Amino acid sequence: MSDVAHEEHVHESTGIETRKLAMWIFLSSEFMFFGALITNYLLFKGRVGYPAPYPADLFDIPFTSVSSFVLLMSSLTMVLADHAIHRDDQRSTRTWLVATALLGMVFLAGQAFEFTEFVLHDPPMKLSTNPAASAFFTLTGFHGMHVLIGVIMLLTLVGVSFRKGKLSTATGLSLESVALYWHFVDIIWIVIFTVVYLIK
Amino acid sequence: MAEAQSKAHPTPKQYVQIAVLLAILTAVEVALYYIEQAGVSGSIVYPTLIILAILKFVIVVAFYMHIRYEKGLIARFFTVGFFGALMLYTVVLGTFGVLSSLGG
Repeated sequence: MSDVAHEEHVHESTGIETRKLAMWIFLSSEFMFFGALITNYLLFKGRVGYPAPYPADLFDIPFTSVSSFVLLMSSLTMVLADHAIHRDDQRSTRTWLVATALLGMVFLAGQAFEFTEFVLHDPPMKLSTNPAASAFFTLTGFHGMHVLIGVIMLLTLVGVSFRKGKLSTATGLSLESVALYWHFVDIIWIVIFTVVYLIK
Repeated sequence: MAEAQSKAHPTPKQYVQIAVLLAILTAVEVALYYIEQAGVSGSIVYPTLIILAILKFVIVVAFYMHIRYEKGLIARFFTVGFFGALMLYTVVLGTFGVLSSLGG
């Protein structure tokens, strides 16, 4: 293991930095949010008697597998940025942050492409085509929105690093909190990929 | 010293090794999807897919989110949120008979 133990200069009664603890509590509550959306999809995906196509009829598993791989690798670049900031290696931190944001954008582009394919399919699958499609677009759309927010936070960090000359672990928008958020978005996709795409 | 050692995070090389493991697990998942397409029963494939997803989930939370290096309070918050949601929605899915249809 590395000798880079993350130092904590905290004075809170919990012994945990408040921003970090707040992010963990927020992420914990997000399980309820995404759990509801995943459950909603599972409840409606088997409902027959509505116009086709259903999401499972149109899934492109090889394409989505590549998207999943891209998001997984973005977690690697994110953790490398987190590692670099704790060594005060500003250049590497910026590089890994930009790499993470780019991978996130590739994932979002893939999702936009997937949605476009579904809507342009003949017959089309739109938000209102059937309850399963509605649940699918809501679930994956909200996940995509979380990825977009993550990309914005990453680019904000990069902007701050250029404006202030460096990023600090002590003040401002915490890179560690953004990293936690990003990894959370990744683990939610791990569940969505298996439960929605791979299991019929 | 012992405390410092227990808080030491993985090295960049170890992070890359973890990413390779995650990529391999994803490849196995996709292979299982096609194995099921080829006619193998879902009652074998689906539980395996769920176990692999749990494994990937735990690896990311433990090593990338560093929960195994954090104070117990954080782990408790995270665990309560996760298992609270899991229990609630398992009951909902069970009530509507969705879980019984997963046997393939």
